[in-house]
Amino acid sequence: MLLSPWQRILRIGAAWAVVSAFVFPIVYWLTVAFKPDRDIFSVPPRVFGFQPTLQSFEEVFGISLGFEHGLEVLPGGGNFYMLPRLWDSIVVALFSTALAVVIATLAAYPLSRMRFRGQHHFVFWVLSTRMMPPVAVAIPMFFIYKNFGLLDTYTGVILIHALMNMPLAVLLLKSFFDDIPVEIDEAALIDGASRFKIFRKIVLPMAMGGIAATAVLCFIFSWTEFLFVLTLTQTSLKTVPVVSSTFVTSTGTAWGNMAALGAAAMVPAFVFILLVQKNLVRGLTLGSLKQ
Amino acid sequence: MGVGRMSAMTLRMPRHFISDHPLPWLLPLIAILVVFALYPFFYNIWLSAHEFVPRRRALEFIGFGNWLKLFADPRMWNALWVTLFYTGICLAIEVFLGMVIALLIDSDDPGFGILRGLLTLTLVIPPAITGMMFLLMEDAQFGLIAAILSDIGLIAPQTAILAEPSLALWGVVLADVWQWTPFMVLIFVAGLRALPTDPYESAMIDGANGWQTFRRITLPMMGKVIAIAVLIRGIDLFRMFDYVFVMTSGGPGTATYTLSLYAWQQTFSFVKWGYGATISLFALFIVLLVANLFLSLTKVRW
Repeated sequence: MLLSPWQRILRIGAAWAVVSAFVFPIVYWLTVAFKPDRDIFSVPPRVFGFQPTLQSFEEVFGISLGFEHGLEVLPGGGNFYMLPRLWDSIVVALFSTALAVVIATLAAYPLSRMRFRGQHHFVFWVLSTRMMPPVAVAIPMFFIYKNFGLLDTYTGVILIHALMNMPLAVLLLKSFFDDIPVEIDEAALIDGASRFKIFRKIVLPMAMGGIAATAVLCFIFSWTEFLFVLTLTQTSLKTVPVVSSTFVTSTGTAWGNMAALGAAAMVPAFVFILLVQKNLVRGLTLGSLKQ
Repeated sequence: MGVGRMSAMTLRMPRHFISDHPLPWLLPLIAILVVFALYPFFYNIWLSAHEFVPRRRALEFIGFGNWLKLFADPRMWNALWVTLFYTGICLAIEVFLGMVIALLIDSDDPGFGILRGLLTLTLVIPPAITGMMFLLMEDAQFGLIAAILSDIGLIAPQTAILAEPSLALWGVVLADVWQWTPFMVLIFVAGLRALPTDPYESAMIDGANGWQTFRRITLPMMGKVIAIAVLIRGIDLFRMFDYVFVMTSGGPGTATYTLSLYAWQQTFSFVKWGYGATISLFALFIVLLVANLFLSLTKVRW
């Protein structure tokens, strides 16, 4: 439809207004991370116009960022010292992503390239694991892990996050493999190449962009996951979303520290999501819609 | 890597690696699905036939006891109702708003790419942290949203939204709508961009107005896209846990108890291991049933 210049300007204005409304809570949350308590608890609430402080970040990261005495490492061990928890999050997300992507890449190849009996049911089985409410996995898994000594271990959380991401990874990678013309495989087969060689030398390099996008999405879903970590860990590790829900002290909630940790958790995810813009919708719909 | 070395490697590889059979490729996936999806599923069924008896510090077999209890439990029916209500309301708002915003920002004018990029940001925030954000913003005294809502007269001043039985669920809905409407927007924009332009040209020649064009051309052609978005979002809404866990813990009273939260609390807070497992299984069966029905009705395929 053709719009008059005025309608166009109106549309641009409306679009920016709507998007600002969605971005605003993030901006507000970031300001909370820089606010001293007295500005967080101002009545009526104010968004801007405060004395910025780095105290919340210093407590969370255990370093002093004061400009007067330069960067200085604090002893750590304070109530809100969260560097180890960020480390837990990174370890869990990295290893579960690696595991999920390797297994899913192997599985997606035959699902895209071969035809076998029960294939349809198999794909549906993979899809149905995406439908399971996590609580229906977390409850039995707690007791299973307890019996096998996997409770409260990196291995346990990494494995369950890999499982959680498996349907996404398999279905998404299958759709990326489907984009590569099957004639290439056929030509190579006629030339006597083995399936595994075709996979390694032809399909894998051509699907690298898709594999990277899949890995980024798996990382983000592991990074933001809550229920499994809440249920299957106790003291030896906790990821950022779970630990930030415990910032409630006897004197109230430590909003500044929580916002600082939240900011530290959001920023890497923001960077990652901007990297996969092109394939985001395909990822969100498990490979069923292409952009 | 030279060709010679490559073929030597192929020769040394076990026979099944060269074969056309899909099984070796699928074996790792099958293994992890069996151990981490199928085994817990059957373990859950076993658990639902038992209950922990604190007096003897042991699980005892009680057959269908938990299932009978489940169907007679008013709190469970309340949790199911809350879950379905929450799912329905959020889906309706998110699909409607998502479509309106998608139509608004589906443009090639400069700046709209940035807008679409900005909208992706809410999707990667851990929902637990979103819950904390809205907990602060809906605080009766220091909360920004509470202040805005009372300024425009929607709620009385100093209302604790999340402590008011009639408002608490809406406070949670607000967080969900904020975080996931962009999910709908992005999917719908991608769908709109993929539509053919011919029908629109003929509609313009025939003098159709904007609403007619949307109703008769855009909506029918977007059917599959909307169905996929509703299915995926619906599954996630039905199992919602994070927001209510951090924002309300199910309260006030039972106003925001979802099935997932109820199952989790029965098992881990009230040591009703078997009963919690039974509720979670019940939720699982409902999702599989409804999702399958939806898939066959809408003919969406993967």
